[in-house]
Amino acid sequence: MPSCGDSYFRLLARCLVAMTLFLVLGPSCFSAAAQYGIDINGKPIGDLGGTGVRVIVLVFAASDCPISNRYIPEIARLNGEYSSRGVRFWWVFPNPSDTADVVKQHNKDFAIHEDALLDASQTLVKRANVTVTPEVAVFTAGLREVYHGRIDDRYISLGQERPHAERHELEMAIQAALGAKPVPQPGGPPVGCSIVFLQK
Amino acid sequence: MTTHRKLILISVLAAICLLLYRPLVGTHAATATQVPAPETWSRDVAPVLYKNCTTCHHPGGAGPFSLLTYADAKRWAPQILNVTQSRFMPPWLPEPGYGDFADVRRLTDQDQALLKRWISGGMAQGDMKDAPAEPHYDATWQMGKPDLVLKVSQPFTLPGGGADTFRNLILPYPLKETHYIRAMEIRPGAPQVVHHANVVVDRTGSLRRLHPNDWQSGVPGMELLVDAGNRFDPDSHFLFWKPDTPALVEPEGMPWRLDPGNDLILNIHLKPSGKAETLDAQIGLYFTPDPPVSKPMLLALERDDKLDIPAGDPNFVVEDSLTLPVDVQVLGAYPHAHYLGHDMQGWAILPDGEKKWLVWIKNWDIDRQSVYRYREPLLLPAGTVLHMKYTFDNSAANPHNPHVPPMRVQAGNRSEDEMAHLWLQVLPVNAAAGGPDPRLQIEEAWMRRRLSKTPADQVSMYNLAAALAGQDKFAEAATVYEEELKADARNARTLTALGAALEGAGQFEQAGERYRSAIALAGPADAGGCDARFDLARMGVRRAEYAEAEKEFRALLTACPEDAETRSGLGAALLGAGRSEDAAREFRRALELDAADFTALYNLGAMAGDGGDAQQAAKMLEAALRAWPASPDAHEKLAAAYAQMGRLGDALVQLRTAAGLAPDDAKIHSSLSQVLDAQGLSEEAFGEQKRALQLDPKDADGWNNLGALLARGGQTEAARSAFEHALQIQPDHAQAKANLARLAGRN
Repeated sequence: MPSCGDSYFRLLARCLVAMTLFLVLGPSCFSAAAQYGIDINGKPIGDLGGTGVRVIVLVFAASDCPISNRYIPEIARLNGEYSSRGVRFWWVFPNPSDTADVVKQHNKDFAIHEDALLDASQTLVKRANVTVTPEVAVFTAGLREVYHGRIDDRYISLGQERPHAERHELEMAIQAALGAKPVPQPGGPPVGCSIVFLQK
Repeated sequence: MTTHRKLILISVLAAICLLLYRPLVGTHAATATQVPAPETWSRDVAPVLYKNCTTCHHPGGAGPFSLLTYADAKRWAPQILNVTQSRFMPPWLPEPGYGDFADVRRLTDQDQALLKRWISGGMAQGDMKDAPAEPHYDATWQMGKPDLVLKVSQPFTLPGGGADTFRNLILPYPLKETHYIRAMEIRPGAPQVVHHANVVVDRTGSLRRLHPNDWQSGVPGMELLVDAGNRFDPDSHFLFWKPDTPALVEPEGMPWRLDPGNDLILNIHLKPSGKAETLDAQIGLYFTPDPPVSKPMLLALERDDKLDIPAGDPNFVVEDSLTLPVDVQVLGAYPHAHYLGHDMQGWAILPDGEKKWLVWIKNWDIDRQSVYRYREPLLLPAGTVLHMKYTFDNSAANPHNPHVPPMRVQAGNRSEDEMAHLWLQVLPVNAAAGGPDPRLQIEEAWMRRRLSKTPADQVSMYNLAAALAGQDKFAEAATVYEEELKADARNARTLTALGAALEGAGQFEQAGERYRSAIALAGPADAGGCDARFDLARMGVRRAEYAEAEKEFRALLTACPEDAETRSGLGAALLGAGRSEDAAREFRRALELDAADFTALYNLGAMAGDGGDAQQAAKMLEAALRAWPASPDAHEKLAAAYAQMGRLGDALVQLRTAAGLAPDDAKIHSSLSQVLDAQGLSEEAFGEQKRALQLDPKDADGWNNLGALLARGGQTEAARSAFEHALQIQPDHAQAKANLARLAGRN
């Protein structure tokens, strides 16, 4: 169970926490056989973390969503700032129209260097409890979700925008998660484009 | 958690309501004859989207995504619902009912409700046979190939992230001739990042001169101040562009002008898209050969002097007002503030007390600013008081506030400063023929108002004096220029203008002194002292000092850029010196530079008339009058040409116009009398001749003509007296002598 830690004791401790959360929120610790979609070359993703990864950030995005795209430089900044400190960023594309070819071209156009995956089954959308793009979810290495919501407070609603963000909430969440401190929650709803949910 | 609880509560209430409502629905359904069919995309929604959204929201358009197809509408339905219900989209700020504007982009209440019903009702596609034809948008010039395309010297690259960027891209006008522009189209190069743009005509290339080494890459800044030059030549057009504006087409008879040496400045608001975007902006210009027949002007209510907004103040109010000195039609309005502007009102109180709204924006958003053009011109008579009242919110609750925490904010050009402007485009109407340009009267009133707010403002002083001089109030103008010089005695431009005012007042020696001082003091903006030298040369022509004038004009052609006025001025000096052929050559060169140069057209017309070529004279003088319709001399010369061609009716029209423009010109009344007489209108002819002699009692020809009119009317004694009067003034007047002899013969 590589994604749940590197020692038996740690594994046990995390899974105990996960069980507690499960009672309240549903499963938060993925099973050993879990797959988290495919990357843009069609390769299945079985591990969101990796060696030395302490915090995982999923950035839910849509290639055709303007607000989502406007945050690409901010995610690049955070990646530059935190990747060396054990934070792994993933661009997650959950919309059916975002096929591998579309996302490949999009990532080239926007010079996206972070990892990207296609969440075609929207499994990660459900696990992270996200509804729009851009929206982020922050997990510990044990895949315990500690934050989901907006990246910062720049957008108040569609059409209401601050000149600059004042509260960098994703960054605050990352810092808290790295420091194993209580993670502050977002001060407002995420603003952007609704995820195109699969028909049931 | 609170949200969840509320949702649950609402769900419970909704369930109860549904339970209660169901039987009623059933009862209603049983008795209703027809249930309206649910809305479909093809029949109901596509027409709304095509009318209101797809001009921007199409592939390659300025909108971030397309809304052309059913799939598009369904994909973006949650956002469509959100932004149409909040009225964020389509972007339209003015409150309905407070100004009757053309091209209103506000969604009607019916369409707003329809979109809501369609989205909440399941977004049915409907029968595609019902769908309207999909609008076609292409990336080519909307009005066909432009007559001239201006391009930026260097593409500008907007970074992918960060705050909004305001940039001034400079596009020099490369031609050596003046052209009139009937339409303009802007292709910014990356439409999805260009929020809006203002095009400013920099008559003097002043911004380029301020940034001699790096102007090619554009100049940062939200606002800009350009030097309008020395002529009263108010930029009269809102050249405002927003993404759904395909081309700016000016109303018939209202083109704007570009002269050699002008720059167009594309003042552009850019919103980063997430990736670096390169703007290779182009401006397409469409020419018309016809100069404007209607000349509007822009004026502003403004209260920047009072903008000192305390940190945290949510309700800071400034007001301004201006009394109109002449009748105007208001054609458009452009309210402007930065990020703290909140409520913006403009209205007019007519002399009878009636209040007419110009505009009211209750929730200002700089990102959605626009020029608003009235559906019908709004007539405001002289004496109307224009008002503006702007409210600013400098509290932390204003999400647009650029300062966190809020800081004291004052007026300024940076985006974090503030502005309080209400620009209006007005067209003066009902002006008396022959009176001063009514735009000068507006300018005078506007500048006096500005000086009442900021008495030391040199720009207002200069503009006021220029407006006074333009109305021939030269002594008053000179006083204002002298006042301005007290603060800046070595200002070459003001010295030049003072020289012109003194010249106008007939103080030629003093005027010459000021011109020469200005030439000596000319700064880098006018290194050759071109303006003062031009005025000095022109004064030489006026004073018949032709050799001196020619010398100055030739010096101008060496030291300064060649322009039409210098060439035609030199032509006038040569003509004055009797060198007609040389003069004609200069006039023709002037017309190569500006086909509407009045001096050249008038003199070539007059020379053709003197040479007996009435056809050519008429052609030139007609063109001269298109350039300056208020010239009585040109009307009179044209009348003479028409008379030579036997077109007496047309000659009469011209002379009547000339007499209206110059009611105290005896020669015009005398010519008018002759043409009236030739048309058989003897009584009117007699009246005009009498009027001419009242104005110039020493005109022997006039007395002779009066005698002839009287003789034909059978008034022999009075005729005799008139002929004798002519001979008293000019004893050798042959015609008067002959007429007197003829009268004696009758007896």
